[in-house]
Amino acid sequence: MSVGAAELLPSAGGGLDFLDAGDGIAARSPLQLFWQRFRRDRVALASLAFIAFLIVLAIAAPLVVRALGLPGPNVENPNLTNAFGSPLGPSAAHPFGVDQLGQDVMSRVIYGTRVSLVVGILGTAIATAVGLVTGVLAGFYRGWVDTLLSRLTDVFLSIPILLLGLGLGAACEVRGCVKGLIQPGLGSVIFIIALANWTYVARIVRGLVLSLREREFVEASRALGASNARIMFREVLPNLAAPVIVYSSLLIPANILFEAALSFLGVGIRPPTASWGEMIAQATPIFATAWWYMTFPGIALLLTVLAFNLLGDGLQDALNPRTAR
Amino acid sequence: MTRKMRMAALAVLAAACATALAACGSSSTSSSSVSANGIQSPKTQAQSGGKRGGTLTVLNHEDFENIDPGLAYFTIDYEAVYATQRPLFSYRPNTFAQASPDLASEPAEVSSDGKTITVHIRHGVHFSPPVNREVTSADVAYAIERGANPNVANPYFESYFSSLEGSANAKGGPFPGITTPDKYTIVFHLEKPTAAIVLDALALPLSAPVPEEYAKRYDARKPSEYGDYQVASGPYMFKNNSEGKVLGIGYQPGKSATLVRNPNWNASTDFRPAYLDEINIQIGGDTNVIGRQVLEGSNMIQNDPVAKAIVQLAYEKFRSQLEISPGAGTRYIAVNNKQGPFSNLDARKAFWAALNRVAMNKAAGGSLVADVQTHFIYPEIPGFEDAGGLQGPKVDYNEHPEGNMAIAEKYMRLAGYPSGKYSGSKTLALVGSTAHTGEAEIADSTLRGLGFKTKLSLVDQSVMYAKYCGVPAEEIDVCPNVGWGADFPDGQAVLDVTFNGNKIIPSGSNNWGQVNDPTINAAMEKAELLTSREAREKAWAAIDDELVADAAAVPYAFVKEAQIESKDVAGVGDLWNSGSWDYSFTSLK
Amino acid sequence: MLRYIIRRVLWGVVLLILVSALTFVLFRVLPTGDPARLRAGRVASPRVIAEIRVDLGLNRSLLEQFWLYMKGIFMHFDLGYSYYSNASVKGLIADRLPATISLTLGASVVWLLSGLAVGIVSAVRRRSALDRGAMGTALLFISAPEYWLGLIVLYLFASDIGQIRVFPGAGSYVPLSSDPWKWFTSLILPWLVLAATNSAIYARLIRGSMTEVMGEDYIRTARAKGLSERRVILRHGLRSAVNPVMTILALDVGVLLGGAILVENVFEIPGIGLLNYQAITHSDFPIVQGTVLAGALFIIVANILVDIAYAYLDPRVRFQ
Repeated sequence: MSVGAAELLPSAGGGLDFLDAGDGIAARSPLQLFWQRFRRDRVALASLAFIAFLIVLAIAAPLVVRALGLPGPNVENPNLTNAFGSPLGPSAAHPFGVDQLGQDVMSRVIYGTRVSLVVGILGTAIATAVGLVTGVLAGFYRGWVDTLLSRLTDVFLSIPILLLGLGLGAACEVRGCVKGLIQPGLGSVIFIIALANWTYVARIVRGLVLSLREREFVEASRALGASNARIMFREVLPNLAAPVIVYSSLLIPANILFEAALSFLGVGIRPPTASWGEMIAQATPIFATAWWYMTFPGIALLLTVLAFNLLGDGLQDALNPRTAR
Repeated sequence: MTRKMRMAALAVLAAACATALAACGSSSTSSSSVSANGIQSPKTQAQSGGKRGGTLTVLNHEDFENIDPGLAYFTIDYEAVYATQRPLFSYRPNTFAQASPDLASEPAEVSSDGKTITVHIRHGVHFSPPVNREVTSADVAYAIERGANPNVANPYFESYFSSLEGSANAKGGPFPGITTPDKYTIVFHLEKPTAAIVLDALALPLSAPVPEEYAKRYDARKPSEYGDYQVASGPYMFKNNSEGKVLGIGYQPGKSATLVRNPNWNASTDFRPAYLDEINIQIGGDTNVIGRQVLEGSNMIQNDPVAKAIVQLAYEKFRSQLEISPGAGTRYIAVNNKQGPFSNLDARKAFWAALNRVAMNKAAGGSLVADVQTHFIYPEIPGFEDAGGLQGPKVDYNEHPEGNMAIAEKYMRLAGYPSGKYSGSKTLALVGSTAHTGEAEIADSTLRGLGFKTKLSLVDQSVMYAKYCGVPAEEIDVCPNVGWGADFPDGQAVLDVTFNGNKIIPSGSNNWGQVNDPTINAAMEKAELLTSREAREKAWAAIDDELVADAAAVPYAFVKEAQIESKDVAGVGDLWNSGSWDYSFTSLK
Repeated sequence: MLRYIIRRVLWGVVLLILVSALTFVLFRVLPTGDPARLRAGRVASPRVIAEIRVDLGLNRSLLEQFWLYMKGIFMHFDLGYSYYSNASVKGLIADRLPATISLTLGASVVWLLSGLAVGIVSAVRRRSALDRGAMGTALLFISAPEYWLGLIVLYLFASDIGQIRVFPGAGSYVPLSSDPWKWFTSLILPWLVLAATNSAIYARLIRGSMTEVMGEDYIRTARAKGLSERRVILRHGLRSAVNPVMTILALDVGVLLGGAILVENVFEIPGIGLLNYQAITHSDFPIVQGTVLAGALFIIVANILVDIAYAYLDPRVRFQ
């Protein structure tokens, strides 16, 4: 993951510079400043709007599909394939064409939004939560907790992530893992994403906490007699919020691609659920003649990931004007 | 035996078929029907008159599974093994009905009690270098004996040769069931009168001679390495060095193989013309790419399953270079007869009635690659016509190839679901194969249409068999992508291991539905002992009828295989091997 | 310095053992499947399955099996035997390594050069249309799935099925030794696809890094001294800006040497990634164990090299 952690450190004089603006000028809270900067970034706003649109699309998928006059994503229609089983291309009734079973591609692309968003956001959220907790504990208490975490991170970082995901996905096929607690399909993919990502988050958080705990306000709090827990919750955590949010917003697109890759390789979301990666996989043997089945899910993936990447960039710029592009 | 089905599935979907038959129901609305005109068939290709010489290039997507004659078990293996080895009996390209004497000099003599088989072998058949000497009956005896050697572990020894006396304790050494009174005679002594099956099994590669003094040291290794050092008795051999090593010279696993003429082969002892001088096999590559190269190129063939898109291309633009071979086996859905909702007969009938078999076959490539399956013995196997031919038994759940929900719901009600849809709480576990996702999905959606809750998993085909569907303890409810191809043309080879309750084993079981009906089991045990071909045909056809009445599984495809050749190749396909091109009969134009 | 190196290498070995233990547990404990049954699945005889179990040592305890496996590796470099493929794991990996190396090294050259070029130009001409265009395109490449890019590129340019028939398509890879020209042309499309994403990442990185560096005082001094702008950028600016990039390059190459599964899959390049993918789908555990180990080895070695390089440049690191 080539995201420089240094950029995210709340460096002295970061978002708080503006408070020293001089007499007669009202001070603004960091949040207001952040929002003001963000608002001026048109690209980031556009991507936020697009993501909001995707979320609405995901939630209202059945309504949208019905409104467009398309059949559902799992409606098989053998009449839409020719005598050799090859699907028919885009037409008025099926703007994105159909797949080998006669299922409407546009309908499946719309429903695919659900999978990508749920997996991307939820998986990242879980990874962030776990990483946050472990990172704070390791950075704050140091000692054996820290050593254990660092060593564990090293081990995880030494295994190619896709391989790990592939192996776990294959292992959880059919029956699921952990005595059926993690079911194949959506469950196992979210599990894999959380497992693959938490060490990165933990490492970043640990770094942040390490630098934070030496800061004056923490020392002051300790001098006032605050307990460790209180310091962690009241002083350290709030300062982590911004960088962690930015970092996880950059993780989301990577995880959407990760899920798509797993589904492409056959160990992610299983049929009949529509997933963009799985659709591309099904399209691969026939893409030379049935280009539509491969193209549209790919474009959907591209646009979604692009939007999240732009949003992440925008958040990062709004938070740290020094690294503004 | 699943060899043919495995090969059909390992590549990207198999090829399409020729005739739009009545059994396929109404023609599809979005395409004109496809016809067989201009397409070759192994039944009608010329068996002689080819031009001598030349090198044939073979493009295969898949590698051999095993080239050791004692282990070869798949369609693709047989292509090489039957060109290099001579079992006692083998099939001519255009037939699967009767085996011809190959290494044997004449048909076998069976004693009246059916417990002794005597076979005379030809004189003047020699091994290839470096062994060179004449083949004797002792070599055939050793070849079969090594099947029981754990380092070799032949896959069908126990199924077909277990009735030989003393075979139960055999571990690779001689046993009383096989004796060689003289250099050119071999006698088989059976404990039970199963001579018909043993004779049929002698057409499998296990009976191809293996020189013991040469092979012994390789068979002592775990696993045996004789395949890497094998010698040939047929018109061709794997290229080797002076020590006999084939691995790395005549066979590079995953990459290529080369067959050259066996210098010690005597044409007067063999029915094979052997026109080609050399066969150059290239392994790997994308099936779409291979297909195009073969169709547009010269002196090339593809000798494993052809991609769907290529079949369409061949049919539309290169029709004379396309061959369709019927009788390549079946594909059907195995449902768990032992536990779960399908242990109920009416539920099974409901599923049969509901399934759109035409759509299933379309997912595989259309009516060119498969006819709608209506019972369990497939075309070219004796008993097919008696069991109903293409139309099949006239029961209402069999009458509608495109599926009929009204009849399905009727049976669901009979099964105890008054609404006509499943109302229980079990979620069905389906395990399909990644090579046939379309069919698996259609089966899945059909079940959901019947009210079931399903969980579909798609895994690699070999894993599907070895880990899930072939292991009764896994309790898989539905296996939508199983298939079968018989080892030899007899109803027993189609129905026994797949539907006999006594043949269920804890792993590697081929009775994927755990069908265990005592009446049917008893009928099978009786039919196994019949010796006359006519009696066997009738008996096994009757068993097929009972299996249909029992809805033991849900059928959908009588498989046909496509093969392609370049325009200047006069290919001859083996009907008995899914139409694969036969190296010993094919020539260049 | 020597002490640091030894410490790092030792930790690397420990890591390798830990990774191997992790995969071992993963594939033996999680419900992947009885290797004996998978091997015997094509043989179908209970007696044979029992023999194979003994042969594979599956009747012994997990710890004993792992110990034997480790011993095999460190004493004989024996990575085990795959019954499914009828070959030794070591042989299979050695066979596939050249293809992966060809793919990885070639692609890394492409993405390094293009990333550097684009990044430098963008940094120097900040906020120009060129910069925005370049960074926009970079973001597009980062956001697109590699396998999809591969399919699109094949659809457009493959010599057998493409719309404009230029480059050899999927499955045309041949080893360098058998046909150098065909080897080279068959790798062009895969190189481009594999390099696209990374090139974009590097371009952005270089741009950010250069931007920071160019604002430093010593750059202003160099300009004040009268040096040409080109010299300033390349001699002084680039030298410091390149540091983070070299680190990441080493790590990225390390990761890719373990197999670029997606690109190898789409282009059917017989490398380690494809081997691993096929092994996982076949539940062919010995190969998976071997390839994960090989992949981890490359990553760990890359990490060690980078750490040693840092320790050499910054003595403080040695005492952490």
